[in-house]
Amino acid sequence: MICGFCGFEFDESEGKKGCGGCHGGCHSVHCPRCNYKNPLESGVVKKLKTIFGKNGKNKGDNK
Amino acid sequence: MATCCSKQTELAVSGNAKKVALVGNPNVGKSVLFNALTGAYVTVSNYPGTSVEVSRGNAVIDGQQWEVIDTPGMYSIHTITEEERVAREILLHETPDVVLHVLDARNLERMLAMTIQLIEAGLPVILVVNIMDEAERMGLSIDLNRLQQKLGIPVIGAATARKRGIDEIRSAMNSYRCSCEQQRFEYSRLLERDINEVTCLMQGEYILSHRALALLLLQQDEEIVELVRQRETVGYAPLAEKVREIAFDRRESFHLDLSLERNEMVRQIITGVFSAPEKRVVTAAERLSRLAVQPLTGVPMLLLVLYFGLYQFVGVFGAGTVVDFLEGKLFEELFNPWIIGVVKNLVPWEIIQELFVGEYGIITLGIRYAVGIILPIVATFFIFFSFLEDTGYFPRLALLVDRIFKHFGLTGRAVIPMVLGFGCDTMATMVTRTLETTRERVIATILLSLTIPCSAQLGVIMSLLSKFPGALAVWGGCLLLLFIVVGLLSARILPGAAPMFYMELPPMRLPQLGNVVTKTYTRMQWYFMEILPLFVLASVLLWLGKITGFFPKMITAMTPVMASIGLPKETAVAFIFGFFRRDYGAAGLYELQTKGLMDARQLTVAAVTLTLFIPCIAQFLIMKKERGWKVAGAIGMFVSLLAFGSGYVLNKALLVTGLLS
Repeated sequence: MICGFCGFEFDESEGKKGCGGCHGGCHSVHCPRCNYKNPLESGVVKKLKTIFGKNGKNKGDNK
Repeated sequence: MATCCSKQTELAVSGNAKKVALVGNPNVGKSVLFNALTGAYVTVSNYPGTSVEVSRGNAVIDGQQWEVIDTPGMYSIHTITEEERVAREILLHETPDVVLHVLDARNLERMLAMTIQLIEAGLPVILVVNIMDEAERMGLSIDLNRLQQKLGIPVIGAATARKRGIDEIRSAMNSYRCSCEQQRFEYSRLLERDINEVTCLMQGEYILSHRALALLLLQQDEEIVELVRQRETVGYAPLAEKVREIAFDRRESFHLDLSLERNEMVRQIITGVFSAPEKRVVTAAERLSRLAVQPLTGVPMLLLVLYFGLYQFVGVFGAGTVVDFLEGKLFEELFNPWIIGVVKNLVPWEIIQELFVGEYGIITLGIRYAVGIILPIVATFFIFFSFLEDTGYFPRLALLVDRIFKHFGLTGRAVIPMVLGFGCDTMATMVTRTLETTRERVIATILLSLTIPCSAQLGVIMSLLSKFPGALAVWGGCLLLLFIVVGLLSARILPGAAPMFYMELPPMRLPQLGNVVTKTYTRMQWYFMEILPLFVLASVLLWLGKITGFFPKMITAMTPVMASIGLPKETAVAFIFGFFRRDYGAAGLYELQTKGLMDARQLTVAAVTLTLFIPCIAQFLIMKKERGWKVAGAIGMFVSLLAFGSGYVLNKALLVTGLLS
């Protein structure tokens, strides 16, 4: 994911989670560089992306 | 020269799954590509014997199984840092079938040197020229076909953050075949002679080519020296002697010579491949970025953003039009009368009817507040917030306010909790821990709990006050004045110096609809799921307070306080609500106004006092967690006294001046 504040690219697993501040569990990933709180994609969004195959139909600069 | 073909056949891992390793400089999009290739099932573990984390995942491409390894960032195969060592270890010991070298198209010249090293090492390289979209925006042109011919390996242009080129990378991985005629990059005659003298003495089998190893030996790479010593056994002594001899002869400038020669090679490769406009193209985004950070243009731009984004969109549209429709029409005229009838028919006991559909009923108050008032305001706020976030405006805002914040003992970095505070002050209080010094954290916590209203509170207040000319300006002026005065005083009272602030600015860009919708939806979903149970709980507590007579007594006890700031006693309800949650209090204020209980002066005084008023329970508890009881208690006390003190002074000032009458 890309941090919404500093633009740093990181994997969800690299970010800090679970500081315990939010009621009802943690739904954010804090950027490892600037600590900005980025929202975690909800299950519904992930499912929708899978259904519509967002990653599957992308064209690039073909060789 | 040895090629990758034989070695890959010989050393490839058993089984059907192939391996691909992603290598490249840090921050070139490797992780994004890794995620695009692997999906959700990923393991992250420390590389054996190190503290460096390596991500591994699986992918199936047209029936072919792949193990995908995301290596730590590296600048060269001659390693310096532990991360680079781990990345090279993976190349040396995990024998990937394909190495995807990901580089940044904007820094092609600087990063191609590593591509040359990887090809020279005989690795099965596919080059991914990433971030092509930004490069194109800068007017840079890269002839990928020509680059492919010159390098002799597959080259793919991509913009992985925008999912461009992913299919081509997948396809290139599956169709990759090692070329037995790999490109050879020639050094100067002198260096070629040295390389040749070393390689002639090497007999062992290695993953990396003899040529690459010879160069690493001449660079005194300790791990490679050890590897070669183990493999060459008896033949190692003359080899080591030759390396020592050459290294001694070229002791003054070997690294520099090698680096210069590689730079020259890169220059030759990119000739006719890469072109940049003579006069660097300043894109509209770059122009906008410059305007956003310069005070003369940045401040008016900020005011425009606040006016159109916060005032017009969140205040007038969200808290006005949408709330009027949802709360006024849908709940008050349609849903509430219907549900009251249903509950009264079903439940014969008045006390239980009160719990669900009474004055403070779970449905008629809790759910109505949450769905009818807070939800539309928070939704419009999060749309505005996510839109702005996706443009890359926030880091510019941090730079813009850095100079001002210095006077308050803060730096531009404090923009992060301040901006997040408009979403929810509780979570923003926690984010103050990212500020460098305790002094900064305490000042930011004070300013957050005092002058930063949460989105729902802000929306309601803007919507209510905009109906009275001048009221919004008085409210905004009071908050700004207090923000400045308290900030300046805190910086004087709390000892210490403000640290330096610098940050790399990410590019400004047009926000992507998908990103804005996803982020808004995600934020709203969690926000709503968090507030709904609390609103229901607050309704139950208020109902309990009412039936036990405690709540009316509390309102009576607060009447003199309300009277001292010129407010009717009913306003105490909003303040009690506000202590549960700020947004709940704001909704209470909305209700009081719609009942016509307050004039412009009273509404403005109530809005200022309620905005400044003691933070809600959740924020107070987080303050205690972050700063301890003493500091949290002192801040809570200070904020409450200042809130009512300011309300008192403002009320008197408005009465004396006749403003807003």
